[in-house]
Amino acid sequence: MKFKDGIKEKSIIIKCGADTFLPFSLVFALYVILTAPVGGGFQGGVLGAAAVLLLYLGYGYDVTKKSINPEILRINEACATTIYALLGFAGLIFGANFCRNVFYANGWLTGFVHDGTIGLMDYAVGYNVMTGVGFLLILMLGFLAPVEEAKKAEKKEDEQ
Amino acid sequence: MKRVLTLLALGVILVTGIYAANYAFNNIPDAYDGHLDVVALEEDPTNYDVTGADGVADIIIAQNLERTGAENNVAAVVFDFRGFDTLGESFILITSVVGSFVILSKVKNEKKEEDAA
Repeated sequence: MKFKDGIKEKSIIIKCGADTFLPFSLVFALYVILTAPVGGGFQGGVLGAAAVLLLYLGYGYDVTKKSINPEILRINEACATTIYALLGFAGLIFGANFCRNVFYANGWLTGFVHDGTIGLMDYAVGYNVMTGVGFLLILMLGFLAPVEEAKKAEKKEDEQ
Repeated sequence: MKRVLTLLALGVILVTGIYAANYAFNNIPDAYDGHLDVVALEEDPTNYDVTGADGVADIIIAQNLERTGAENNVAAVVFDFRGFDTLGESFILITSVVGSFVILSKVKNEKKEEDAA
């Protein structure tokens, strides 16, 4: 694998660990989110956001920012909150109060989501948490990155 | 002006607090289904009849299916009975994202300006 100048090469053990565990962690996060009626949206979202940390540990900040675009994550998070609110309003529109479970026994969508709209709301929460926490992590790692660059520069000056 | 407003707000809080305490003292609150006697439970917990689940737990366990139609009680509590709570959680998340985005990007820009200067 080629690296450009200025990107620090990490230890091969950490890199191999990140390569090995990243797909498994993502699959596990999706599994936790998709068992929706048990209510694992928040936990699965945080598990999925941990993939950002694995990438950072293995390859550093520059590769992380290249492979995951933080702007897209920010937009997706707003979308997810909106989806949750709209699903809550679905209860209001179809004759009950806000956040009421609807579409559970009407025959429509029942094969797909057998628990009504609360399953879809759980997916929305998982989406929301995954994108939001991932964006926060990238932002904070980016706040750390200039410090590392400054340390590198100091080391180079010392060597010279 | 500031002091007057602060005193006014504190006074409103005090008056409503006194009213609420008086109301709670005179009308002892019942549970949702009316079975739970809070005073009897607190005075003598050992003799109180606890064979059936009381209060909100009773509602959720016995009437969950007919009220919400959800198969899972936990999901019904989190997304139906307390849907507003979960909505607030996601708003907390989006607020923290926007707030840290504003603050951290400002710090970064200041650092870049310092480096340039």
